[in-house]
Amino acid sequence: MLHLVLRRLAATVPVLLLVTAGVFALLHLTPGDPIDAMMAESVDAAAKAALRTELGLDQPLPVQYAAWMGRLLRGDLGHSIRNGEPVVESVSRRLGPSLQLAALAMAISLLIAFPVGIVSAVRRNTAVDRAGTTFSLFGICMPNFLLALLLIFVFGVTLRWLPISGYVDPVEEPWDGLRSLALPAVTLGLALAAVVTRTLRSSMLEALGEDYVRTARAKGLAEGRVVRGHVLRNALIPVVTVLGLQLGTLIGGAVITEYVFALPGVGRLVVDAVFARDYPLVQGVVLLIALGFIASNLVVDLLYGLIDPRIRHR
Amino acid sequence: MTVSRRAFLKTSAIAAGVPWLGLGPGAAAAADPPKKGGTLRVGFYIEAATMDPHLSGSKIDRQVYHNIYEPLVTLDAKLGIKPGLAESWTQPDPKTLVFKLRRGVKFHDGTDFNAEAAKFNFERMKNEPKSVRKGEVANIDTVEVVDSHTIKVNLKKPDAALLATLTDRAGMMVSPKVVQERGAELQRNAKGAGTGPFEFVEWVRDSHLVIKRNEAYWNKQGGPYLDRVRYRPIPDDVVKLQSLQSGEIDVMDYVQPRDVAAVKADKNVVVLDVPSLADFAYQLNHTRPPFNNKALRQAVAYALDIEQIVKGVWLNVGVPANGPIPPTSWAYDKSIPFIKRDLAKAKAKLAEGGQPGGFAFTLTTNNIPINVQEAEVIQAQLREVGITAKVNLVDSATLISSGNAKNFEMISYQWSGRPDPDGNTYQFFRTTPGTSLNWSGLSNPQIDALLDKTREVSSQAERRKLYSELTKLLQDELPMIFIVHPIEPKAFSPRVQGYDPIPDGMMRFKDVWMR
Repeated sequence: MLHLVLRRLAATVPVLLLVTAGVFALLHLTPGDPIDAMMAESVDAAAKAALRTELGLDQPLPVQYAAWMGRLLRGDLGHSIRNGEPVVESVSRRLGPSLQLAALAMAISLLIAFPVGIVSAVRRNTAVDRAGTTFSLFGICMPNFLLALLLIFVFGVTLRWLPISGYVDPVEEPWDGLRSLALPAVTLGLALAAVVTRTLRSSMLEALGEDYVRTARAKGLAEGRVVRGHVLRNALIPVVTVLGLQLGTLIGGAVITEYVFALPGVGRLVVDAVFARDYPLVQGVVLLIALGFIASNLVVDLLYGLIDPRIRHR
Repeated sequence: MTVSRRAFLKTSAIAAGVPWLGLGPGAAAAADPPKKGGTLRVGFYIEAATMDPHLSGSKIDRQVYHNIYEPLVTLDAKLGIKPGLAESWTQPDPKTLVFKLRRGVKFHDGTDFNAEAAKFNFERMKNEPKSVRKGEVANIDTVEVVDSHTIKVNLKKPDAALLATLTDRAGMMVSPKVVQERGAELQRNAKGAGTGPFEFVEWVRDSHLVIKRNEAYWNKQGGPYLDRVRYRPIPDDVVKLQSLQSGEIDVMDYVQPRDVAAVKADKNVVVLDVPSLADFAYQLNHTRPPFNNKALRQAVAYALDIEQIVKGVWLNVGVPANGPIPPTSWAYDKSIPFIKRDLAKAKAKLAEGGQPGGFAFTLTTNNIPINVQEAEVIQAQLREVGITAKVNLVDSATLISSGNAKNFEMISYQWSGRPDPDGNTYQFFRTTPGTSLNWSGLSNPQIDALLDKTREVSSQAERRKLYSELTKLLQDELPMIFIVHPIEPKAFSPRVQGYDPIPDGMMRFKDVWMR
């Protein structure tokens, strides 16, 4: 187990190097310039040049990348070009809302996906299964922004049960905080629930056809115990894989949902930073998102071991 | 005062062919005395960038500044200059301006506003390395303190547009004590820094910015009435509108043309059409083919039906543009028509330009819905005379860099506008080597001479004539194809009273109150 963790951690180094170098190259190859974008209404070429020199943007790209790496190794992610704020501060302020949103969305999706997925598989080809399949299709096909706007219209504008947009920290004000996160979490959670339901249903169906299920039934085990102990446990691996991948996406990729609900999350931060060509900020956030993906994949690998002892002993 | 201004706006809105919805309930209840109290919740599309007016480069910052800071002079609804922190001013000669400053004005930190403070501010704008105001005050040579409440501003050369520039950030006075004691922090925290009707309270990044009533405000006439104003960024237009309709916010800064009709039909929302200072246009690159050929520029201008674009794309939330100067300006000459579509003339110009069968070029524009629609209409209109426009959609950072590098053939340019016509003309059309806002590369000695003269002449009537002449020259020379002077509709909850729109689009809440 420890071996696995260490091996994984060692593998993160080349991954991070590739990701940061790739993003750095892509950003600088994209037309547009942070100083031009920032001082769009200024004609003062000398002031622009001075700012460029001060920020090191006049250096060759490899030099800029090396300088960034050098600072990173000393634990310094640099400052935003646009507002001079340390990148670490911008990112850490945005991380809380993103994590809370991801956790809530994940919880909602599990609460829906497990009952629906299990019942669909066990009662295959019945009305219940078809209803479950319809729900999943709906969830997969429905674009995020449309679902978000519909939810806002129903619960915010018409019924006025929940706030339309904005963020309140649930750590400080639990009730208002949960209310502010409810609609975005449902928006993301429904889509995720749809994917998880589909995955769980198909992997359960596969497990239901296995020899050990027939054996379990033959030895007179109650159907409930067969499903819980033999089918579900064996069907979990693909579900955990999907969840692991989705968690990373939820943290860094919930851009549209964050926009619509005016949530100060990581996804919006990185998109705004790209539009402003705020290189250090983009680099910092991408680094963080990459770390998030690596961590959630590591957790998934460890969970495999818990679920399936054969993987643990390999 | 408020009533007469409102009456003026009413007539001007009708004259402009815009249905007057204005602050309807407010007008009906004009007899109601203003009431103190309440928090006004304002929705903006983006959050402020900095609280330091000398370092600010974004429009949204100004929205907040105009409530906490005050400029030396301010604008009235007709873009006339009226006293602000300066009680009066005189111009003994074209290169000297003397300001009499208002007595008894205190910054929110309790220190006095006086001549020393004004001098300090001008020097900071000129010398602070990160100052974004340098260009605006470049013409100011020195500022002298004459007595405790008089300053003398010495100019390098005559500058008729300077007063108008001082109605915004370049004229805003910041407490020298705040700058000296915590200058760096001013970017995020403007506590004590201004003299305005509201004081800065807090700014929680990504969440909200709050200002409160300045109880010691020097001007005892009218407001401030509101206890607090709370600004919130809501990036999505649809959601912002729904927030207003459901009462989560009381004011929104801008209604998209596509939403205007629907919002005007909603009883829970009051829409006010605020004509702007803006001109939305396309710059044509004079430094490379095909638009280094004047006849081909004119062919494009005659092939376009601007009226149709304003009607179909802008849904009449704006007026067709005859040039860079908007109808809100005293320098606008309504006797000059915008360039009308004339396909025969367009074809003749194509032949004159050596391309009788038409030609192809690339149109670069922002990848946002209304710009894309406009580009598609332009494409279709030009196709009728055989001109092929290839549309290249880019984000705004790319657009700006392409423009600065003159790496385009025809490029969208949306200028927010300045109160003095100089701000909509000089920097775009004066010959300027190197990088500048003159993206087209226009260089015409006659236009240069005219532009220089507009700065030297101080009589408004005289300047007006010069700008009319300039507009006609621009229609012939075509550094830009002018499309629309947009209207910037703002929307309010019916509870909001007393808002006085000024075409610079800034929301000054001094006399605003809540029913």
